[in-house]
Amino acid sequence: MKRYIFKRVLFSIFSLLVVVVLVMIMCYSLIEKSAIFQTDDTWNKKSNNDRGIYELVQYQKFGYLEFEDYTTFVKNKYMALYGEDYHKDAEYLKDKVAVQDPETFQQNPTVQEFVQKYSTGGYTFKYFEPMKYKSGKTKPGGNGYLLAVRDISVWLRLSRYITHFITVETTNDVKDEALTDRYIRIEKDPYSNMPAVVGSGTQHKYLIYFDKKFPFIHQNWLHLNLGTSYTMYRGQEISSVIKSPTGELAPTRQQYPTFLGTDEYVDTAVDFHSLSYNSSELSEVELSQFTDKYTVYSYNRDGLSMLGNSFVMGVIATILGYLLGLPIGNLMARKVDGIIDRIGNAFIVFIMAVPSVGYIFIFAAIMTKAFGLPYKFANAQVKILAYVLPTLSLTLPQLANLMKWNRRYMIDQMNSDYVKFARAEGLSEKEIYSIHISRNALIYIVHGIPASILMSLTGAFITETVYSVPGVGRLLINSIGQHDNGVVVALTVFYTSLSLISVILGDLLLAKVDPRISLSADKGGGR
Amino acid sequence: MAENINLSPENEDELFRFLRDDERASSEKIVAPRYSYWRSVFRVFFRKKLNIFLIVAFVLLLISAFVLPLFFEYNTMENVADATTYSLRPSEAIARFGDPVKYCLGTGPMGNSIFYGIFASARTSLSLAFLCAAINMTIGIALGAFWGYSKKADGIILAIYNIVANVPSLLLQAVLIYVIGSGFKSLVIAFTMFGWFYVAYFFRMQVMIIRDREYSLASRCLGTPLYRIVSKNILPFLTSVIVTLLASEIPGYVNSEVFLSFAGLGLGAAVPSLGRMIQNAQSAFITYPWQFWPPIFMASAMTLVLYLLGQGLADASDPRTHML
Repeated sequence: MKRYIFKRVLFSIFSLLVVVVLVMIMCYSLIEKSAIFQTDDTWNKKSNNDRGIYELVQYQKFGYLEFEDYTTFVKNKYMALYGEDYHKDAEYLKDKVAVQDPETFQQNPTVQEFVQKYSTGGYTFKYFEPMKYKSGKTKPGGNGYLLAVRDISVWLRLSRYITHFITVETTNDVKDEALTDRYIRIEKDPYSNMPAVVGSGTQHKYLIYFDKKFPFIHQNWLHLNLGTSYTMYRGQEISSVIKSPTGELAPTRQQYPTFLGTDEYVDTAVDFHSLSYNSSELSEVELSQFTDKYTVYSYNRDGLSMLGNSFVMGVIATILGYLLGLPIGNLMARKVDGIIDRIGNAFIVFIMAVPSVGYIFIFAAIMTKAFGLPYKFANAQVKILAYVLPTLSLTLPQLANLMKWNRRYMIDQMNSDYVKFARAEGLSEKEIYSIHISRNALIYIVHGIPASILMSLTGAFITETVYSVPGVGRLLINSIGQHDNGVVVALTVFYTSLSLISVILGDLLLAKVDPRISLSADKGGGR
Repeated sequence: MAENINLSPENEDELFRFLRDDERASSEKIVAPRYSYWRSVFRVFFRKKLNIFLIVAFVLLLISAFVLPLFFEYNTMENVADATTYSLRPSEAIARFGDPVKYCLGTGPMGNSIFYGIFASARTSLSLAFLCAAINMTIGIALGAFWGYSKKADGIILAIYNIVANVPSLLLQAVLIYVIGSGFKSLVIAFTMFGWFYVAYFFRMQVMIIRDREYSLASRCLGTPLYRIVSKNILPFLTSVIVTLLASEIPGYVNSEVFLSFAGLGLGAAVPSLGRMIQNAQSAFITYPWQFWPPIFMASAMTLVLYLLGQGLADASDPRTHML
């Protein structure tokens, strides 16, 4: 059994890799990459060569390609020779402007050095010829550039993705020579009065800490890098985007580090557990508030994270679906073509036939009229009420689905021999249904439980759109709309791994519930 | 009694006589009524009043989707230049244009006629659904039959399938549309790129169940060639399964189109589409309900009729219901 699970996990990882490669090829190679400039104002403002350079810079940022700039090359060369004063050197100035002359630049020794250096490694050279008016004056943005450009191959992209997938913060993360005191140790956390793992030299200050929010113990030590967003959440990592809280700022009475131990309290929403290293010069205000260079923070907000919103709604909807769907399915199966069966079937067909946008709106209209429940998520006076309608809307399709399948399985079981035998033995109908039939019908139902719980993490696009819920459901569609390849890849990895995990868990649960099923081929049935 | 039966050899001529050819044929006949599969299917199908009603509804649907748009010429951008025609309620629109048929449901957010729009959109949806179902079912059934029958190929195809099936299909479709751009053609590609795989997998299991039944084994022992076993022993048995699958596939495509267009990924703005009509109207569905409910109603009617009709046909095509 262990070997079987191990094999399954290995295969799952393999399929995940294949999917990531496929999506990377599709996103980075098949899409016309200039589409990212469709809505870019900066691109419109740039002209001539500068536009070309800007395009390359953006392509590099989006992960399409890499390039080396001749100007930087010259700068580095002379910086190594003369230190900080390199820009006063006459040789440097001569080499720097060499590319402005399209006829002679190739004779320049530094240019030749540059060409020599990047002649290997898959680089191609791109020369932007200087653009000049007839008078000899350079056009705006018409400076000449020499660049070595190379495309990032799928394999390079994949290997980078995998090697950066999990990062652990170490004391050498901060590249600042002024910071001499580097450690990771357990200290008393003044904000929770509990012990916490505190780092210096790490990106975050509090690596492991406790607080009053679920799940009470938190960490900033290990980071999952699913992918970086470029357009939607400029430069942010997607897993931190979906985990950071949403909603309004939630100030509480707190103290800045310098005031700890004094009576000076302020109402602020700063989350002091999120402090991370500030590599730039500290401002005067920051110096007065903080005792060290860990001054970058995020805020406490009153809402759950995007992931939290989707998950809470999805899990409650799943539980409600099972709690209602199974008994109703049973009742329907008991009297086929009875009144409950007819109503139930009408409901199932209604949910199947009407597009989900339709029935969610109908449902929302009825519920807001009848019970005065808040319609848009942000408009709710009482926060908890905002979840009611979206959750119930998510329950509807689950309910219909479970009713349909439970009814089907129950009816299939009702005709089997063991039921006839039980009846002949004189068992009451109640016993037959609750002990024999339901249990056997449940075997099929059980398989889908992990999937419906885990997949609720992926959110529900239409429900979240209709009620304007800040959840993860709209991320994929939005990222596609904004050509955010990093997010598309990140979400592919996220969704695919969830679906892989849920299939394995479903199979294991199935084998657990039904002892007749053996997953590994070496034992029992399989062929 | 004894005098009637005379078994003595000289009377042999009276005991036996040669039959004429036509006489022989009639005596060989089996008395039970002749069973014809498809006739029984239709007999069972038309026994239910609901099914007759559904057939009528289906024909009406086909007319409204494929014939009416020929007369009701629809163009989304028709009145786009005139902002005063935007989002008019039915009474205002009729007063404005004086065309009580075309504007009986008011105008959309770009001055387009809602009434003509839902028929043109229904044509798009139905063509898409029929086309995708035809492609996926044909490839899926052919490959599924082969896949289920060939034990050698099973391992390899199953490994590929396990990779594809683990990816949520919405993700695949969305990424595909992202890559190839939106439009009718790309929607067909997105639905059929991997759609046949799911059909084939479903079919593999069905074929595997029947493959090892005794009668299949027997005909294999008698040396029946493979294609004959597949086409004569296995596929007829699966007619009802095929119809059941079709009954859920076709409405499925209609709904998927509505979903993807609603998400802004489906058809381009110029192609009339129910999903896009719903999406355009959803933000203002309280102020302009006449824009929102007609496309919803059309989509629901289509899927409902197609689904119920398919169910009825699937029930009727199951030979077990053919007993009198």
